[in-house]
Amino acid sequence: MIYRETGTFITSYLEDRKLFPIPFDKWAMAVFMLFMIFVVPFIASDYWLAAHLIPILAYGTAALGLNLLTGMTGQLSLGTAGFMCFGAFFTFNIMLRSPEWMNLPLAMVLAGSVTGVIGIIFGLPSIRIKGFYLLVSTLAAQYFALWFFRSYPYFLNYATATVTLPDHHFDLFGIGETFDVDMASFEAKYLMSLGIVTALALFAKNLMRSATGRNFMAVRDMDIAASVIGIPVIRTKMLAFFVSCFYCGVGGALFCYAYLQVLGIRTFEMNRSFEILFMAIIGGLGSIAGSFYGTVLVYEFPILFSWAGDYLFKGAFDTAVVDNVAKITYGILIIALLIREPGGLAALWATAKQKLRTWPFPH
Amino acid sequence: MAAGNPILQIDNITLVFGGVTALNGISFDVAEGEICAVIGPNGAGKSSMLNVINGVYVPQEGRVVFKGQDCTRMRPRQIAQLGMARTFQNIGLFQGMTVLENILTGRCMKIRSTWLEQGLNIGRARREEVENRRAVEEVIEFLHLQGIRKTPVGKLPYGLQKRVELARALVAEPTMLLQDEPMTGMNLEEKKDMSCFALEINREYGTTIVLIEHDMSVVMDISDHVVVLDYGAKIGDGTPDEVKNNQDVIDAYLGVTH
Ligand SMILES: Nc1ncnc2c1ncn2[C@@H]1O[C@H](COP(=O)(O)OP(=O)(O)O)[C@@H](O)[C@H]1O
Ligand SMILES: [Mg+2]
Repeated sequence: MIYRETGTFITSYLEDRKLFPIPFDKWAMAVFMLFMIFVVPFIASDYWLAAHLIPILAYGTAALGLNLLTGMTGQLSLGTAGFMCFGAFFTFNIMLRSPEWMNLPLAMVLAGSVTGVIGIIFGLPSIRIKGFYLLVSTLAAQYFALWFFRSYPYFLNYATATVTLPDHHFDLFGIGETFDVDMASFEAKYLMSLGIVTALALFAKNLMRSATGRNFMAVRDMDIAASVIGIPVIRTKMLAFFVSCFYCGVGGALFCYAYLQVLGIRTFEMNRSFEILFMAIIGGLGSIAGSFYGTVLVYEFPILFSWAGDYLFKGAFDTAVVDNVAKITYGILIIALLIREPGGLAALWATAKQKLRTWPFPH
Repeated sequence: MAAGNPILQIDNITLVFGGVTALNGISFDVAEGEICAVIGPNGAGKSSMLNVINGVYVPQEGRVVFKGQDCTRMRPRQIAQLGMARTFQNIGLFQGMTVLENILTGRCMKIRSTWLEQGLNIGRARREEVENRRAVEEVIEFLHLQGIRKTPVGKLPYGLQKRVELARALVAEPTMLLQDEPMTGMNLEEKKDMSCFALEINREYGTTIVLIEHDMSVVMDISDHVVVLDYGAKIGDGTPDEVKNNQDVIDAYLGVTH
């Protein structure tokens, strides 16, 4: 009798539109967030922060960005890593070339906005072309980004290959000096990432349950009907590109600043785009929370599998063999999941919740 | 509803697809406040006519004048803004969304808040959601859709989907409503409901209705005005009684048993 909607009668339309209509969900979310903010930084080791939590937050932002475009608005994209690249490089350059008062979150917002505008430019062909052909245009964005930053070393401050991101870029309103805390520590980086990701996820959630989100989905489901009921189809597509690429840009900045600690072009090769597409599909296209479920699964599973493989067969087989078998097993699992539930983890979770709600008397 | 001045004038419309002439020099007027039925055998050009009226197709020749404005070359969205709404022959619902979300999209032209306000969920954006929800609830009640608000439209039976689509069109508060075969594939009971809705919409809100329908008894019952198309040409235009007694129409259409 814990997980029930009973007793939560809808008394107003605002109430019906709440983020968490079931009180249990609301409390679970609150406890989860409090845990993430106040407990995790103190109990998690640097390894857990640096190699698990922070990369998941960075990847998740990019997966969410892609999901807004592909899952919500139905515009396919293979340019995710390219847009992350723009976001990361612009953030670095804004930090490098601005006066003292500039700070990292603001730089990310600015860089994300520029990335959004670039996204609009590469999204222009979507006015005329649909589906797989659009992949060509977003692929162009991917290669353009790599080419651009290779051709203009100015943006990498003339470093060869990579540049280490300086610690003082992490200071926020002089908090570090005033309170004598290390703003470039993993704890601080984790908290900054968590704050940014939470804000972006909330914004996306609000957007998707209002008129703009419905316009996105209408364009995805049937653009002729959308234009007939008065939805500005072209503007909606362009907005989806802007918002999506904004998220990808911020994701790229987090990826470099919070996770890798260095900025380089090779980080944003094509395979990164595929990886993030994978996360969005497995998590569930069209689901905000799904973007993060997918990220956790795709990021953690290979690690878990090679670890389990190592543990079980250590010595018996060659490490490379174990590694490959782990990868194959993982691939089969993913395929099985998608065959059983094309809606990904988010749909799986929704079904489970539905069952829980009617348990033990399903009808 | 008493017929008034022409609200829609179709003037000599010709529409060609490759070698096929879908519409050949069609002209007729629709009076303000009437229910106008467009009938004709399959492939006569009825759906193409609606598509020309609300800007999905641009005719090679002729003019469409709605509320005194030439809208032949306007985009569907602009025509929607002039107060025209429609439903589709093959259901134009957004299959990935719930009934409530689908109907809410019908209010898209009333939205004034920006996407930033909506993302931040502040002031105007919140107010508009409540206002639009209220308008949607009125239509939900009117069309008896209360039990299925949160159902994904893809899970609904055909008849109900048609009704949800009508709700989405109505919630925009249109002055003119185009319905493409709203009753095809429905049972008798559902057909009765649908024709009652058309009459009620027409009477209560004064909405002018143009509808395509095959069932002659329904057409004779509810329409003030009937236009008959056959192979892209207009072969009849008048009151239901006039059309019923028109020899061309009898030959081309009414004589044919379905
Ligand atoms: N988009 C299109 N492309 C090519 N031909 C079309 C198209 N739409 C309609 N037609 C043709 O126009 C004619 C009229 O079709 P339509 O308007 O759908 O008839 P109705 O709705 O009266 O059954 C048909 O011959 C059809 O094949
Ligand atoms: Mg038709």
